[in-house]
Amino acid sequence: MRILVCIKQVPDSEGIVTIDKSTGWIDFEGPYRMNRFDEFALEEALRIRENMAVDSIDALSVGPPRAESTIRKALEMGASRGIHILTEERTDISAFETASLITLFVKKEGYDLILTGVMAEDDMQSQVGPMIAEMLGYPSASSVICEGIDREKGTLYAEREIEAGTRECIEMKLPVLLTIQSGINRPRYPALSNVLRAKRQEITTIPSHTLQKTEKREKIVRLRYPEAPSKGIFLEGNEEEKAGFLLQILHEKSII
Amino acid sequence: MKGTMKKRQIAVIAEHRNGVLTPGTLETLSFARELERLLSLETKIIIVGKSIGNLAYDIAEMTGMDIIGIEGENFKFYNCEAYLAALEKPLKELDPAYICTPHSAMGYDFAPRLAVRLKASCITAVEKIGKKEKSVIFSRSQWNGKIILEMEPVAERGVITVLPGSWPELDERPERTGEVTIIRTVTETKNSRTTEIKEAKRTDFDLTKAEVIVSAGKGLGKEENLPIIYKLSELFPKSAVGASRAACDAGWFDYGHQIGITGKTVSPKLYIACGISGSTQHISGMKGSQMVVAINTDPAASIFSVADFCIVEDLATFIPCVIEKYHKLFSLHKESE
Repeated sequence: MRILVCIKQVPDSEGIVTIDKSTGWIDFEGPYRMNRFDEFALEEALRIRENMAVDSIDALSVGPPRAESTIRKALEMGASRGIHILTEERTDISAFETASLITLFVKKEGYDLILTGVMAEDDMQSQVGPMIAEMLGYPSASSVICEGIDREKGTLYAEREIEAGTRECIEMKLPVLLTIQSGINRPRYPALSNVLRAKRQEITTIPSHTLQKTEKREKIVRLRYPEAPSKGIFLEGNEEEKAGFLLQILHEKSII
Repeated sequence: MKGTMKKRQIAVIAEHRNGVLTPGTLETLSFARELERLLSLETKIIIVGKSIGNLAYDIAEMTGMDIIGIEGENFKFYNCEAYLAALEKPLKELDPAYICTPHSAMGYDFAPRLAVRLKASCITAVEKIGKKEKSVIFSRSQWNGKIILEMEPVAERGVITVLPGSWPELDERPERTGEVTIIRTVTETKNSRTTEIKEAKRTDFDLTKAEVIVSAGKGLGKEENLPIIYKLSELFPKSAVGASRAACDAGWFDYGHQIGITGKTVSPKLYIACGISGSTQHISGMKGSQMVVAINTDPAASIFSVADFCIVEDLATFIPCVIEKYHKLFSLHKESE
């Protein structure tokens, strides 16, 4: 059993995002980290390995040089091998391009199970996972909240969350791609021994241009800030004054 | 999109449950109406199901749009493989310029695959559309809702998923009734089989019927702060407690409380967001609320962009302060009446 986990490095939501007027692209000031949904996916792979013989858990990221730190984090958590499909710094690579690059890699390597997060926290497209599955002809299920593998039958059972608590139950033939929903597990903190091992470990780096190039299917027309939609009023004063003001408003609207 | 000889169309892939269209589908139909007006196109609705005759005719009457119903034994439940197999041929024949579906657990499960199969552009979670010269521009949030990306499909066709809560539900009284075409198909799925839908256990409150919802997010900080959320909700009759995905993931709430894309969509009279940063997926589930109060320590939190009243305070001290003040002001007042 070989498992691939696709991870994305995302900007931390605490950081400051601005549009660079000269390039029309993003300027980001702040830390980057692993997409939380991908942490759940990686943790799920590690748990599968605790219950059955798994030959390898490979963590792959498509991204600029800085994405290496996120791949290293995956190794610290317990991935067996790190793979970096290296792109240029500007990160306007589309879901279709990312999926095409990962697919080319998977075709060479062959995996029984591919896991990704249900979406990236930053852009929330939910596209890359299902696109990889389609390109490979694998069955796929998104928003998976529990799964089990039957090695003898070569099948995987998954439950996907469709709306608050309601689940769809699916049986699929391996190889399978799953996109993992948050809450499926509790991602672990790396063990010290893994942290030390990860420091020394080689990461396989593949420049994206050495793989086949694909054309974008969507054009970015422009970036803009959200319209200042806040019709909202910021209440002023100290805590107590704000509390009083809020109660007064709710009272005037006959809510209290 | 390139100029075309024959008049191309918009296809909406409908999502239905228990014999009715989902709210997300009705919103997607409103989106399709707007797209129709921008491009002078017509919309056809495609419904896949085991037995959809009645539903198809109801919708044809309600919308005036033409319906293609795809019926088969295999469609008792949604299944990605079966849906793709069923949709591929009719969509190739119809050759719509845009294929639209809600950005729901069903939509984002099959739409990206469909786009690859049809060599189409794929734009998901669209919130707004507009026209720029001859092309239609689709807007979606990026970078945690801090940036809007305006995009344009460049392939011959585009697969679009529509973010819940971004358009009103379609509500029309059309003069004509749409035509219904039912196609019966036999699709065998080779690699997957959907076996059942497990319904959520019923909870003793109904978020969608509550007049006031007090919702908590990650800013709650710790489980010990839970009682203040419940105490705040108790100030209001017909209230319920909601939660963001992050607060459910932290184990503070059962997922039945979750509001947002994989949770519930609500539109109460009053929504109080406590310690919720306001991800796009959460906001799409609550932005239909009549009045929104947001409490957050971060003045730049996205939730403030949809709030009517913004309070930059720590909920752990602010809410107890509100409750205390409430009792001082109103309880005494009531006693003296």
